[in-house]
Amino acid sequence: MPYHEFDCSKCIPERKKHAVVKGPEDDLTKALPLGYLNTIPGSISERGCAYCGAKHVIGTPMKDVIHISHGPTGCTYDTWQTKRYISDNDNFQLKRTFATDVKEKHIVFGAEKLLKENIIEAFRAFPEIKRMTIYQTCATALIGDDIDAIAQEVMDEMPDVDIFVCNSPGFGGPSQSGGHHKINIAWINQKVGNVEPVITSDYVINYVGEYNIQGDQEIMLDFFRRMGIQVLSTFTGNGSYDELRSMHRAHLNVLECARSAEYICNELRVRYGIPRLDIDGFGFEPLASSLRKVGRFFGIEERAEKIIEEESARWKPELDWYKERLTGKKICLWPGGSKLWHWANVIHEEMGLDVVSVYTKFGHQGDMEKGIARCEVGALAIDDPNELEGLEAMYKLKPDIILTGKRPGEVAKKIRVPYLNAHAYHNGPYKGFEGWVRFARDIYNAIYSPIHQLSYLDISKDEIPDDGGFKTQRMYSDATLPEAVKTSSAMREYTGKYDIIAELRKREYPEFNKKQ
Amino acid sequence: MPDINEKVAQLENFIMKKCLWQFHSRAWDRKRQNENILGMTAKLLCGEEVDTSKPEDKCYWVDASYLAENYRERFDWFSTMSNDEIKELMQALRERIDFVTVDGSLNEELKDPRY
Ligand code: SF4
Repeated sequence: MPYHEFDCSKCIPERKKHAVVKGPEDDLTKALPLGYLNTIPGSISERGCAYCGAKHVIGTPMKDVIHISHGPTGCTYDTWQTKRYISDNDNFQLKRTFATDVKEKHIVFGAEKLLKENIIEAFRAFPEIKRMTIYQTCATALIGDDIDAIAQEVMDEMPDVDIFVCNSPGFGGPSQSGGHHKINIAWINQKVGNVEPVITSDYVINYVGEYNIQGDQEIMLDFFRRMGIQVLSTFTGNGSYDELRSMHRAHLNVLECARSAEYICNELRVRYGIPRLDIDGFGFEPLASSLRKVGRFFGIEERAEKIIEEESARWKPELDWYKERLTGKKICLWPGGSKLWHWANVIHEEMGLDVVSVYTKFGHQGDMEKGIARCEVGALAIDDPNELEGLEAMYKLKPDIILTGKRPGEVAKKIRVPYLNAHAYHNGPYKGFEGWVRFARDIYNAIYSPIHQLSYLDISKDEIPDDGGFKTQRMYSDATLPEAVKTSSAMREYTGKYDIIAELRKREYPEFNKKQ
Repeated sequence: MPDINEKVAQLENFIMKKCLWQFHSRAWDRKRQNENILGMTAKLLCGEEVDTSKPEDKCYWVDASYLAENYRERFDWFSTMSNDEIKELMQALRERIDFVTVDGSLNEELKDPRY
């Protein structure tokens, strides 16, 4: 696997070891991009800071909590509302963000008094919320504010509240990944084991590394509940603060995003003997295998089989409709950390897309190992790319679509490459069987958008045809399909609803008698 | 009929594309996972009993039984092999996975003494 040197980065020679091309005879021992290192000066990274990783990715999806940043408003503002981690309590944690609004005078004279006033004010403003997380930022870390002491003072004065302190300022790691690590360890050290849960099932799990983007967690929770499994806590999407304090009582940790949350699973295994099962919630076959494995662990595999059979019968014809129209299209999988390996193989197998590149902004070498192992030969794998490298890769690889975040996504649009938001989604959820079809539909809509096709014409120089009329998506996507496929009644377009989560929240679940 | 190297390559490819257990974060984690999961897979393929009384073992067994089932389903040459041949093949697979994920791995984080 040769390293790949970008023309635009020849002036930053250290970048060379951050990209490789997967060759036909290569394996992971031949070359692996470097990863999880400080961004090289001169390379304009697209990463977030360690505070962002702790607060925005992991802390704030917790739903019944006031999340307050101790620092300037900018830190909080920039880590607010760009990820759609919804919750079933009217999105309290998504609608509001809190900051202590530290100014220059506080840097000089200290901001502890300000912090205490803000904590009390926030609890008074939302008296129904009794839990809080506080995040350290660069400025308040540098002046040495003792957040733990202030939090303890407030807890002594207000015995009905509980506060978690996360000491992960922006400079506390090379990227947001440093913050994931810190908050995982802080949570297990400070909070796990503090609450004893009511156990209602013989089968009890923590669902870990799942952030309920547009309802992903609720889709998976639905499957687990249909199987009679008690999900003690979700770390952390749509998760509840007190449930997450009782993680130590689960029988199994079901781990989805190992990049952001393997740390707490590893610690729960070492400290409490709870095994860790890594799963994939995306794609029909990986999801089916994952549900089977969880069922098998508890000896209730037939309950998983029933779900798999029902869901596959309902949704497979719709997935196939999109597969026929997406096969052979080139895709760059450029997400943050874990989705490159969650999607690399299954998107090829189940949607027919050819993955021409994988990249990760903050992944570690372990993520690249998984991603490269799962993608096809010829793919370009890049660690922490800068904007110019992203552009160069797109010009060279000519993808039909890229899946990435909103910053590189907007850059892609400018050179007329359609993009889907891999972090916050477009019309998710993407997990579950139906979710996977919704994902295929979004990819289809992006690639064959008639508006996008028009954008290929440059009105400053191209001849603009005025005799063809308006073309629909189907006219583009079906142009070269065989007649039998076009008219097949065995396949159909997506027929689900706009909002598939509202109904799930009202659903009633079968009672399974508890044996023990 | 593929030779043992071709068989190992096919089995390795399945693990790499479909599994996640081989990529835990530290060298000792990976060795432990490889030993337990591939060890149990070998036993299951030979029709031997495995002990799943401890939660940890049950979790290994979940991944091992998934692997064993898929191997039997996808590679029909398994049905023509004796138990001794299966053991020899699985030993070679274990050595190969240990090499790719640990001993020959370029992942510098594997040596980190802490999680
Ligand atoms: S790097 Fe520091 S100042 Fe910037 S957003 Fe992160 S915590 Fe705030």
